[in-house]
Amino acid sequence: MDRFQRLHPFTVLAVAAAVVTTTTAAGRWWLSCTVLACALIVAWSVGKSVKLVGLSSAIVLPTFASQLMIHGLASNGKFGLTQVGLQTAAELGLRTAVLVVVGLLCALIVDRHQLVAAIDLSKAPAQLGYLVAATLLLIPQLADRQRAISEAQMLRQVKFRRGPRGWFQKIRLQAVPLVLSTLEESANRAPHLAARGFPAAQSVTRLREIPDSKAQRGIRRVSGLCALLLPALLLVPNWMDFA
Amino acid sequence: MSPNLLLADESTGSKLRRNLLAVAGTLLLMTTYTVLVITQPTDLTGGLGQGVALATFAAYLLSALLLLAAVLRDLPVSTLTLIPVALGLNILLGQFVGSVMVPLYLDSIGTVLVGFLAGRRAGAATGVLGTLIWSLFAPTVLPFAAGAALIGFLAGTAARFGAVRRVYLAPIAGLVSGVLVGTISAPVAAFVFGGTSGVGTGAVVAAFRSMGDSLLSAVTKQALISDPGDKAIVFLIAAMLVYALPSRMYQSYEFVRRYRVLGNLSGERD
Repeated sequence: MDRFQRLHPFTVLAVAAAVVTTTTAAGRWWLSCTVLACALIVAWSVGKSVKLVGLSSAIVLPTFASQLMIHGLASNGKFGLTQVGLQTAAELGLRTAVLVVVGLLCALIVDRHQLVAAIDLSKAPAQLGYLVAATLLLIPQLADRQRAISEAQMLRQVKFRRGPRGWFQKIRLQAVPLVLSTLEESANRAPHLAARGFPAAQSVTRLREIPDSKAQRGIRRVSGLCALLLPALLLVPNWMDFA
Repeated sequence: MSPNLLLADESTGSKLRRNLLAVAGTLLLMTTYTVLVITQPTDLTGGLGQGVALATFAAYLLSALLLLAAVLRDLPVSTLTLIPVALGLNILLGQFVGSVMVPLYLDSIGTVLVGFLAGRRAGAATGVLGTLIWSLFAPTVLPFAAGAALIGFLAGTAARFGAVRRVYLAPIAGLVSGVLVGTISAPVAAFVFGGTSGVGTGAVVAAFRSMGDSLLSAVTKQALISDPGDKAIVFLIAAMLVYALPSRMYQSYEFVRRYRVLGNLSGERD
């Protein structure tokens, strides 16, 4: 069990929210870079740095390119590189990078089964826990089924036309069986779920235990306050100047 | 007798609470949008810009969560089992479209399908939940949850007023929905992310900026180019998928029977 498995999923999420809001409100490049470096160190310590860099790059690099075009190259009716434009693009790109890297780090270190159990044990409606659990379970199953349908179409030697008609033919031959079979299953599942008394009127016993402690509850409270108060403290002077 | 065998006791208080949550969510969304459009902050990265970005992010996300809280407890079990399937379809069909190099998103087919089969509340809930779960893989989609809720809501509304009864009506409804969704989502792209996150869409925004448009105006125009066409195709595909369903399956949804979503095919026998 790695060290993050000993943390309540909400503790990780609350700390992440506080870090992202405070860093965004501060708007200092060195703070953003420090947060990104810390996130990479945390990912490296749990052996997920390569995955974090890969996933983040897929989102952050197009964002930087987009910011460069919108602010670095084109602004105020002109087209050309300006120092102010480049600075704006870099600052906006860094702001997005902090959200992406910290968010993806949470997704990588929080165990999804623990997250579902934590939602179930919280005061959130029982429906929310079911929906999160069912979706995370169904996505890989649906991907497998789509692969099987695609292989079956290839075995039948289906030839797709070119252009938009071929594209619609592909949609019809691959999406229709997938949608029909999954909807059939969901329709069959509903009466069984209802027969088991879902959603339960009272709390249910769960075999999975979520690690929690007084200290963690305290950290969550402090993080929640920081997520609200620190940005306000950082931003109020600027807003006063503006007013 | 087991409490599970009894019908749920719905008090007036809980219904009022849910309606208040829905009204609060809608008002928060509309107020934030109106304030942003009227004030159009120009400073994106200074103290004011950081505050606007955080406030926009928080207000759009909070309004989506309020709408979700308003509808979640109302959803019947048949709809609850449908929503995860729809979320999976959003992701898989979206990836499939990406793999065949078609320049569209088509990542809301499942949401629209739920709107057509289970109504606007279920559609809105699917939109919000889909975004929340998708944010585990791409955190930048989180503030767009309200836009996703609007897609599901509009799909349910369109189905209720007969947009699925004729195949040519579905893309028209999609076109109108795309205009609304693009307009509502543009401030998030403009003030939270300073534009768009894609290279292709960024180029379109840059072109409008170089012609002298403000950032919000350029992002809104880009959204109005991309979204209506995308949603028209999504609504058309979702309608065709509903037509492909066997009658016993679509008849099992109360919304389809009650509002005769598929015309004479789906109406309750007199």
